[in-house]
Amino acid sequence: MKILAIDTSGLVCAAAVTDNGQLLAEYRTQLKKTHSQMLLPMLDALRQAIDLDLSTIDCIAVAEGPGSFTGLRIGAATAKGLAFALGIPVVPVPTLDAMAWQLLGEPGTVCPMMDARRGQVYTGLYRFGDTPRTMETLFAPAAVSAEEIAERVNAIGEPAVFLGDGEPVYRETLARVCTVPYRVAPSWKNRQSAAVLADLADVLAGAGGMVDADTFAPVYLRASQAEREAAEKAARAAKTGQTGTGEQID
Amino acid sequence: MTTVLESRSVEETRRIAKSMGETAAAGDVFALNGDLGAGKTVFAKGFAEGLGFPYPEDVVSPTFTLLQIYEGGRLTLYHFDVYRMEDASEADGIGMDDYLFGDGVCLIEWAEHVEELLPAGRTQITITRDDAEGPSCRRITVTKNGVAGE
Repeated sequence: MKILAIDTSGLVCAAAVTDNGQLLAEYRTQLKKTHSQMLLPMLDALRQAIDLDLSTIDCIAVAEGPGSFTGLRIGAATAKGLAFALGIPVVPVPTLDAMAWQLLGEPGTVCPMMDARRGQVYTGLYRFGDTPRTMETLFAPAAVSAEEIAERVNAIGEPAVFLGDGEPVYRETLARVCTVPYRVAPSWKNRQSAAVLADLADVLAGAGGMVDADTFAPVYLRASQAEREAAEKAARAAKTGQTGTGEQID
Repeated sequence: MTTVLESRSVEETRRIAKSMGETAAAGDVFALNGDLGAGKTVFAKGFAEGLGFPYPEDVVSPTFTLLQIYEGGRLTLYHFDVYRMEDASEADGIGMDDYLFGDGVCLIEWAEHVEELLPAGRTQITITRDDAEGPSCRRITVTKNGVAGE
């Protein structure tokens, strides 16, 4: 099965093509959120680099969310457009599942976290199974505080690996709250990757994870306004003493 | 911290806005309030000019598009007019957070419509007519909230 994969859920803008589990090409940047200008030229460059015949693609895999709202819409619109035009299905892949999947085989708890702003992270908890290429979801993707996810990691009681752009933001929180041994994934296995997303999509597609282009919609996973206000209040309370600079303008 | 600036003309309002644009930093959010005719658009043009946008005369209130992005200056300007928004959930619906916490500068007209979404560290700018002083006189109240680290 030939898969064209797209991940524009965060600062990373990435596209990849795999064929029966073999990576043919990946193009990945992590610089600016200009994904709307970047993605289509990127896809075209990939196509030319591997002399890809679009009619041979079996499905379009895309990071369904959570993530940057604008980024998810760019990915979703592109995936739906291509899938519709080519008459092929979409394989929606949860962003956090794909991020965790790049640490395939890692023992212990895997915790991807993306900065959701306002004192929250988009996060989930995963563990790789004894059967090859299986992953168990211990805590399904949600928008929660870094404290909460660290407590959940503690409750599992196993060593943990953190990754994603939320980790540097909440590094101190993790250091303060985590009681289990943990480490941070190295930079090259720490952010979204379309090659990894395609690999997980291969597994999901085999398990009935395809939908038609019309049906597919991104999963924004927004916390409700009330939840966000509570989280913000808690985050501010935790920072008391470091605030109140009151700069003068002009 | 509140500063009250007196402007005696359209040109002076624009100069004040320009100087604020010149000192704006990446990630800053400016909430711009004022009645119709108070001079919000004049302020926006001056502000864009201060940010180094090369065509400040092209800046108009994005009343229908909600957001206009001006690139080409020192920093990208995200110019919102959220007059038509009934509440914060609509701002959520257009992904306003991506801009509020982005790497450019946000200038938001009618910001009170989405107030609960705005970061605490924003700068409030309110333009009011000062008819006692003269028809072109305006009082520009600038309040910089002291909460850091949003």
